[in-house]
This record gives sequence, structure tokens and C-alpha cells, in this order.
Amino acid sequence: MRVPGFQTWIMMLLLLVCGALVIYPLAFLIVESINVGDPQIFPPEEYGLGNYANLYEDSKIITNTLLVACISTVFAVIFGFIQAWILTRTAIPGRERLERLMELPYYMTPLIGALAWGVLLGPKTGLINQLWRSTGIESDAFNIYTPWGIAWVMALFEGTVAFVMISASMKSMDPSLEESSRVLGASKLRTMLKITIPLVTPGILSATIFVFAEMLGSFAAAFVLGIPGRFYVVTTSIWQATLSYPPDYGRAAALGLSLFGAMVITLGLARLIMRHGTYTTITGKAFRPRPMDVGAMKYPLMSLAWGYIFVAVVLPLAALTLTSFQQFATVIIPQMKFTLANFETAVQMGSLGPAFINSMTLGVSVATIGVPIIGIMAWIIYRSTMPGRVVMEYVAMVPAAVPRLVFGLGLLWAWINIPIPLYGTLWLLGIAYFTVFLPLGLRTIAGVVLQVDKSLEECARVCGASWTHQMRTVTLPLLRPGLIAAWLLLFIASVRELGASVFLMGPHSKVIGPSIVNSWLTASSELSAAMALIQTVMVFIAVAIMFRVARRMGGATE
Amino acid sequence: MNRDPNNAPRIEVRDLVVKYGDATAVDGVQFSIAPGELVTLLGPSGCGKTTTLRAIAGLETPSSGTIRLNSETVYSGTERKNIPAEKRGVSMVFQSYAIWPHMTVFENVAYGLKVRKLPKAEVASNVARVLDMVQMQAYADRPSSKLSGGQQQRVAVARAIAFSPNVVLFDEPLSNLDAKLRAEMRVELRELQRRLDITSLYVTHDQEEALAISDRVIVMNGGKIEQIGSPEDIYDRPASHFVADFVGSANMIPGKVTGEGPNGTLAFETQGGAQLRIARPADARVQGTVIALRSAYIHFGQTAGAQNGVAGTIHRRMFHGDFIQYVVDWPAGQLIVRRPPTELFDEGSAVVLSFDPTHCVLL
Repeated sequence: MRVPGFQTWIMMLLLLVCGALVIYPLAFLIVESINVGDPQIFPPEEYGLGNYANLYEDSKIITNTLLVACISTVFAVIFGFIQAWILTRTAIPGRERLERLMELPYYMTPLIGALAWGVLLGPKTGLINQLWRSTGIESDAFNIYTPWGIAWVMALFEGTVAFVMISASMKSMDPSLEESSRVLGASKLRTMLKITIPLVTPGILSATIFVFAEMLGSFAAAFVLGIPGRFYVVTTSIWQATLSYPPDYGRAAALGLSLFGAMVITLGLARLIMRHGTYTTITGKAFRPRPMDVGAMKYPLMSLAWGYIFVAVVLPLAALTLTSFQQFATVIIPQMKFTLANFETAVQMGSLGPAFINSMTLGVSVATIGVPIIGIMAWIIYRSTMPGRVVMEYVAMVPAAVPRLVFGLGLLWAWINIPIPLYGTLWLLGIAYFTVFLPLGLRTIAGVVLQVDKSLEECARVCGASWTHQMRTVTLPLLRPGLIAAWLLLFIASVRELGASVFLMGPHSKVIGPSIVNSWLTASSELSAAMALIQTVMVFIAVAIMFRVARRMGGATE
Repeated sequence: MNRDPNNAPRIEVRDLVVKYGDATAVDGVQFSIAPGELVTLLGPSGCGKTTTLRAIAGLETPSSGTIRLNSETVYSGTERKNIPAEKRGVSMVFQSYAIWPHMTVFENVAYGLKVRKLPKAEVASNVARVLDMVQMQAYADRPSSKLSGGQQQRVAVARAIAFSPNVVLFDEPLSNLDAKLRAEMRVELRELQRRLDITSLYVTHDQEEALAISDRVIVMNGGKIEQIGSPEDIYDRPASHFVADFVGSANMIPGKVTGEGPNGTLAFETQGGAQLRIARPADARVQGTVIALRSAYIHFGQTAGAQNGVAGTIHRRMFHGDFIQYVVDWPAGQLIVRRPPTELFDEGSAVVLSFDPTHCVLL
């Protein structure tokens, strides 16, 4: 056999560990969701479907969820489509730079976005509302603590996701398809209506469904902006059911599993459209369509494109910065009192300082342990011919369809019922992070593994190198830039994690995300702004390193 | 074509079968290659030629059969033996060149030598020697990601021969080069192979390339071998309809054998009623209903010795530069004729088509 035995052992071990990590919490959730006895006793004394039946009674939560998801999906897809069209199809100045900046809203996270827009458009105290009222009007310009506010914040964030998906489908379209329409005598408009739009429709459609699915499971914005106005969606109801007294784990589990089911169906639909709806003429090859000369329209279009970056990144960060350096946030210049006290409190205050250290520790260790493990998994899945690789891919991709909050709930329930004292420690958070970020890490590393031509490895073997020698001299050096990028992505994801952490954080294992939320709910918005800024700076430093690595990687392969 | 009958074959493949799930890529292939020989595997894409090559290299696991390299069994389905690629001692040039982008030209070429733990000085002198052979000595310290396609190709060849393997496998090595460079490299590769006396198995889908560089050609189709023979054999005496059609330009003329002709030939009547004399097939059992006639073997005008002369009209003339291709109307339909550019006839002119019975191959 060409594949040595120990490779098979490694695969079995990984499959077993990852399978347990992924399936174990979900199994606990399923059991708990059909527990109609005392929700705090495990194993349940009484089984039934009562928890699911109860969900119908408060249909308000479901309509709320759908309302927010629909509004924000529409906005996100409109944002994404306009940005994609401007940046891939028109000849506006500074396109390349804008395209790179389009990644930034994604690293802003919905939590930071929600805090910032809370600071900007909160009733009465919001900075914009303050300005508005200073003109003498006795009402707010806009109240962000509403479904529309939640949808707005989410749309700004998901707009980037829609942009990436739609622009990919625009870029993969062979420009000669449009050119031949023009040559055959069709006008620009006719070409757009008859050729361009039908060809990009599947891309837009699958982006829409994908964004919708993500919206269903989103937590942070609905939490920050919905709780004060007692506006609950599914995810925030799960949180409420779990942390209220007495906790109703059965209800939370039933809600979580229903959400999981809804996401699996929608994501499956998105994949189906992507696979069957696309035309064969759209190949995996990337084209650079000849940008359209838009004449005098180029400046309005350019400001539109910059406008999105401004609203999604610059304005929120500016608002957070302005707030965090003041005692009481205001835009009325004579009333401003600047102070560094918020930052001092953020890093010193009793339990908050450790939260930053804990998050850093978790970020570094999850990334450091995760990258080699996921790297080996990616190699097994995409390079080897071992029979278990398909199963392994499925197992590793399952967490992508589970909202992190639901996963956190499953882990919480699983580990408080097990005599190993992991609950309330950083270990449990580490395990949770590794599991929920498996799909992210796998996708990143797989992208690089697939880029490396298989014959580069085969050639090393034919030259006489053993498997380990080939790995050391050819495979790993070629993968290194991708592995570094994956490390940074895992680090970023861990540092800003919120959904899974809210349930798993204990008094001695605080992490940043939930701490910011707690401070927002119980302390001042100025302090929360300072904490959010520190987190954002940590993330952006990692992003900057990642961009630099990516650029060097791009230079090496050319 | 065993030049030295005392030498055992370098490569021996017996009853090789390679399956991917239900699909059979290679279906009972069998051949052997003598020391110093260059043999091509020729066929359309998907015919199993590359899979056969990769199975010999150890990059593909066959389902059954035997592969022997230098008289040593490296794969045997019945003995459940499969020596890994790195222990087979063969070398290979990949279609994509597989030049490692993170190494310099020198490091690429030195790889196989370093793996074999040769002393530093010896590595350096060997690398210099082979880079010199492919005229790339000036590029030794260049990062290999900065090379052109042709240069990468040369480095790939240098790397493949650096550790002095006695068998080198070539997987469509020239298919990514432009036509002119391809023709040049073809000559160079053949020179190098002869000079170093390297036993080579060469995969290509380009019939011209196969005929030009090979000692013997193996034509494959649908996972099976259609014919093994010298380039002249393959061209002049195709064994099957597929070979006649795939290699070179041939006219397929349907009809039937009507009896004996003079001088040991057979009489053949085409559809449309033209009477031809054709060579008697070596295998007397062939009951063919079609003959293959190379378009280059048809002359205009009655020539001495040619026993077939049929009247026709030139329908279309296409000037190709190195030759002129005529489409000629004749009793059996249309015939493609290739003549040197000196033989210029106008469209519509009447001609006599003449060709030798030995060039009419009954299939």
C-alpha cells in the first residue's frame, strides 16, 4: 500500500475526536428538547413533544425573526449587488483599493456595529439624535432599538458577504458572452437585460438565501438592540430561556433545534441553486470583465461605493472613538469632557482585565492547536484517497449550519451533566471555539491545498522522497502562507466570539465578547465603547498582518 | 526492437487493469520496453495512456496485473505487492512541469540528488552537468517562479535526468508549449534521450509528435491497446479503423473484396463502382469492407507502377503552405489528396488519381 498505516490511524483518531466534538453536544440538545419533565434533571424523567408544541404558542418570536431576517436580507443583497456591480463592472478610479477595503465591514462584527449604531441612533442620547434635537425638533431622527434598526446593522455586515458572493459570480462570467451579444447588434441595455442579468441571477439568488440563513441564526445585533425594547427573536429567546430563573432548557433546546433545522434547509437550498442553477458557461476560471466606461457617472458611483465603507466602517468606529474618550457622550462641543478613564477601567476593572487576557490566550491557543489539526484534516480530505475522507468532510462542515449560540447551548448542557469539571473553565471555551470554527479553518486551508498542484507533490515522490520528506520539503513550504492566514483567521474569530461564549463563560473564565455585552446592559455605553474599540484594534492588527501575508503569497505564486 | 537481445526489458507491463469505481480506465494493457528504447503511448484524451504511465510511476494503484521495472516486480495484483513511487527509481516529467515555485532552479534540479544523500560537491557537479545539457546553466540561481514555460520545461527535464535514472516517464511534456517551441524541444528531447541512452515511455495525444520521436508507438483507445509498432508500421499498415483514422490523414473507402487480382493482389470494388487492386492483408482471415488510403500516397496523373488509376475532378483546393490539400470527386464519393505545393491544379480540372495497391490497407 502507498498509504502507510499510521495515516489511517491518524484519520480514525481525528474522525473520532471531531465526530464526538460535533455530534455529542447536538445529541444532548435533541434529548433535552424532548424532555418535558423537570428541565434541570438529566437524563429526563419524562419525554414528549411539549417543548415543540409550545413554540407555536409564541409565534410572535418566529414572526419577529422572519421580519428582521427578510428586511436585512433585502438591504444586504441590494448593498452587495450595487457594490459588486460598481467594483467589477465599471471603470471608477481606485477600484482595487475599494475592493480590498470591502473586507473590512466583515471584520467589524455585528456586535461592534450594533454598539456603534446604538451610540449613534439611540433614543435621545444617540449622537445623531442629539444633533437632530439640537435643531429644536422634539423627537428622534430614528430609533435604532427597533426591528428596522437591528435589520439595518445586520444588513451593513451581511452586505459584505453578499458582495463577495455576487462579485464572484460576476467575475466568473466570460466577457465574450456579452461581447458576442453586442457584436450581433444588441444594445448595451438589451445585452444587460437578456445576457448579463440572467447569467448572474443564480449567484444573486444563492447569495440571498445564504444571507437569509445567516440572519436567522444571528444573535449580537438582536441582543444589543432588541433586549432594551423587549423585542425578541429566536436566538435572543434561547438566551432568555437559558439564563432566566428557573432556566427552561427544554424550551431553549427546542428553539435551537428548530433554528438548526431551518438553517440546514435554507443552506441546502442555497447550495442546490448554486450547483444546478448556474450555467456551464460560468466556469471556475476568473475573468476580469472589461469595465464599462460610465463617463460622468463615475464620480456619483464612486461616492456610492465609498459611502458604504463610510457607513459600515468609518462612521461606527468614529462614533465609538468619540464616545469612548468622553465622560458622557455628546456631540455638543462645549459640553464635551474628554477622559481616558474608560480605557483605564476597561483594562483594570476587576474581572474585565482578565477577560482580555483570557481572550488572547484562547485566540492564540485555539489557532495554534487548530491549524495543524485542521491542516492534516484538509490534506486527508482533499489529497488522500482514504475511504473515510468524505465522512470527515461532512462532520467538519456540520457546525457551519449550527448557530454558534445553539452550539454553545448544547455544550453547556452536555458538560454540566458530565462529571468532568470542565464547565466554567477556559478549556470548555477552547473546545467550543475549535468545534464551531472547524468549517472556517477547513475552508481556508482547503483553498490553499487545492491551489497547490497535485503533481508538485507527486514529482517529489517520483524523485525518491518519502511521504514525510515530501511533506517537509514541498507540501508544508507551499502551504505556509495559507496556514499563517488560517492561524490569523482562527485567532480573529476566537477573539471576537460571542454566540457560543455567552453560555460557556464562567465567573473565572470571562472573555471579551460577552463582557462587552454585559457592560452595555449594566454599565455605561462609554465604557462599552472603549472595550469594543480595544477588541476592534486587536482584530484589525491581525487583519493587517493577514493582508500583508496574503500579498506576499500573491507575489510568490505569480 | 530489442537492440541487445541479452538485455532484459526495462519496463514490463502485463494484463494491467486500472479501475476508478465502476469505470475501467486501463483494460488489460500489456507491453515491454527494451533498454534505450523510446516508446510512446498515443491516443485521444481519456484512452488510459496517462493512467498507464502513472501506474508505472506508482502514482496510481492498479486493480490487477503486473508491472516490472529493471526485472524487479514493483506491482503485482496476485502477490499484493505495490512498491511506493519513491522506491521505484524511475523519473518523470509532468505535463504541468511541477516546478516547485518556492525553490530556485538549482534546488529544483538538486532535489532528487539530495534525497539520495549525495555529497554536496557531487550534487553541484551533477546539477551543473544536466543544466548544461538543457542550456539552462545561466539560470541556476533564479527563483523558479520567474521562468517562462519553455524554461520551466527544460528545468523539468534536467530535474528528471539529474539523478541518472535508467527509466524516465514523460507525461505529455510538450503539450503546454506553443507549436514552434514544441517542434524544437521534440528534437532536443530525442537527442538527449539518445545521447544518455535513457529508456523512455512517453505519453502524447499528438500523433505527429509520436511518429517523429519514437522507436515504437503504442496506440491506445478506450483503455485497450489498438496497435504496437514502429512509426512506419503504424502509418503504413494501420491494424484497425481507429489507428488509420487517428494517426495521419487517411481516406476510408467502403466497398467489398470481389476476388483475386494480378500479382497476388485482391480485387476491391468501392461503393460507386470503382475497381481497385489492393494488397493482400498479412492476416488472410481479414474480411474487410473498408480500405484505408493515406491522402499523401495518392498521385495525380498516371504514374509508372501504380496499378490503380481512377478519373476524378478537383472539387476544392486548400493551400496549407507545406502541402496542398485537394478534395477530389471520384466515383466512390470524395477523396482527400495531399500534394506538395509544386503540384498546383485548378478547381474543376479533371485528374487521374493513381495509387499503389500496397497503400490500400484492407480493414
